[in-house]
Amino acid sequence: MVQLFRVAKIYPPNYPALKDIYLQIDKGEFVFVNGPSGAGKTTLLRLLFRAEDASEGQIVVNGRNITRLDGKGVAELRRELGLVFQEFKLLPTMTALENVALAAQVVGVSRQESKRKAFHLLRELGLKDKHDARPPTLSGGEQQRVAIARALVNEPMLVLADEPTGNLDAETAEETMRLFLKIHERGTTVLLATHDTGVLKRFGCRAVFLQRGELVGDSKQESGEARL
Amino acid sequence: MKLAWIPFVFLRVLKSLRDLLWTHVLTSGTMAMTLFIFGGFLLIQDNLHSLLKGWGSQIQIFAYLNNSLASPDLQKLIAAVRSYPEVESVRFVSREQAWESFKKSMGSQSSLLEGLQAEILPPSLEIVLKMPYRERAPAGDVAKRLRGLAGISQVEYPEEWVERLSVLVLGVQWAKWIFGGFLFAATLLIVGNTVKLAILARKDEIEIMQLVGAPQGLIQAPFVVEGMIQGIAGASLSLLVLWLLFLFLGTELPNFLGIFAVRDQIHFLDVEGVALILSLGGLLGASGSLFSLRRFLKV
Ligand SMILES: Nc1ncnc2c1ncn2[C@@H]1O[C@H](COP(=O)(O)OP(=O)(O)OP(=O)(O)O)[C@@H](O)[C@H]1O
Ligand SMILES: [Mg+2]
Repeated sequence: MVQLFRVAKIYPPNYPALKDIYLQIDKGEFVFVNGPSGAGKTTLLRLLFRAEDASEGQIVVNGRNITRLDGKGVAELRRELGLVFQEFKLLPTMTALENVALAAQVVGVSRQESKRKAFHLLRELGLKDKHDARPPTLSGGEQQRVAIARALVNEPMLVLADEPTGNLDAETAEETMRLFLKIHERGTTVLLATHDTGVLKRFGCRAVFLQRGELVGDSKQESGEARL
Repeated sequence: MKLAWIPFVFLRVLKSLRDLLWTHVLTSGTMAMTLFIFGGFLLIQDNLHSLLKGWGSQIQIFAYLNNSLASPDLQKLIAAVRSYPEVESVRFVSREQAWESFKKSMGSQSSLLEGLQAEILPPSLEIVLKMPYRERAPAGDVAKRLRGLAGISQVEYPEEWVERLSVLVLGVQWAKWIFGGFLFAATLLIVGNTVKLAILARKDEIEIMQLVGAPQGLIQAPFVVEGMIQGIAGASLSLLVLWLLFLFLGTELPNFLGIFAVRDQIHFLDVEGVALILSLGGLLGASGSLFSLRRFLKV
């Protein structure tokens, strides 16, 4: 699903945010990207949805080499992804339903069908009574669930989440994490960046560790080596 | 572009026009001014051109006769002029005919002429040249020969007028594009700035559209349509003002200046001219907006 070969990212003028990254993520995996602040987690995710260009190396997402894409190619790539951010990125003037439906509508789904899909997703995520609420009137956890619904509305192959629980209290964060596990159980590949180490132990998924731009650990390889 | 996107684009255009109403009105007004000046030049050029063509096609030589010319001599003179190879037709205008047509050309002010006598106007010959000779050199040549004939006191033809007008038409033609060019460039910047404001007003929505993979065309379309609407609105306004001014000048100016002959000959822009102004407006708006999108819409 995701392959990185010798990937490096140097921010101008010459700050190396990622160095020599090799990483393979298979279809259906749930992977935490972990590491201290400034390690390069956000940078890694931004490379995958082409908000940044890699300085070196090749990146393949869903069978497509994304290192060289024009504007059209980037749009096509992102249609296969679901993105969730720490700060939700919802439009405050639109209702929850409109926020979710917008994402479907702009990739060519009819207005009716977009609203129908948004309606069902919001209900599934426990926001049945909040369709017509605008984001500023919702709690943080509710806003993040609207954002997750938006990420899922186009049925992505891969969900990329960058600190999705960073703005939530412990209890809401835990609920939100379980939501990502549920999404994963339905067959979606999930890549989730977090600096929270506690969550790794509790969920026991694969985790890769970044430190100062280098990939310093991968629980999959370690357990594989342990088995040998 | 999918059908489902038409209402999407339409709604955004409406919203933007409403939210930034005065900015849009001012921009349309600026475009109207630019196109008004361009259209004004076009109108003048058009009219001068057709006046010129009209005059050119009826280049006539007027030969004024001695008052004392006797009838047999007159007949001989006419026959002689008719025999010139360049001459197509010769018409004799008697003193009374000249008086009548003069009175007619004065229109409502003909009462001023009361008390004057027909004698003040001399009889004349109106000489029309054949097509290939309707130019300055051959006309001058014929005029020279006519001056040598007995019985003719004076010869006139509108040589200098035609020449001066041709230069003027050329001047207007160039001025239109030079002036217009500068104004178009300035207008482009103003439209670009308005679209920049519209982009900033929708920056969050644009970011989300980009993140979910909306096609670039869909993201840009509302701004291009918006620019075109401003341009066409500006063009329509400029045409309206130009037309009102034309009506006003068309009725007032000839009376004022006493140019009666011109009154029936001037005309407003033709369909092509109107279409040119409207499409220039649309084009100006769309390109101003694309120019801004390129600068302010990062992928
Ligand atoms: N646009 C940029 N220009 C220059 N340097 C940048 C840019 N974005 C990030 N960096 C630097 O790259 C390094 C990695 O940043 P990144 O945001 O990927 O870290 P992170 O692991 O997501 O951290 P956090 O846990 O705080 O979110 C940081 O030192 C940061 O200052
Ligand atoms: Mg980060």
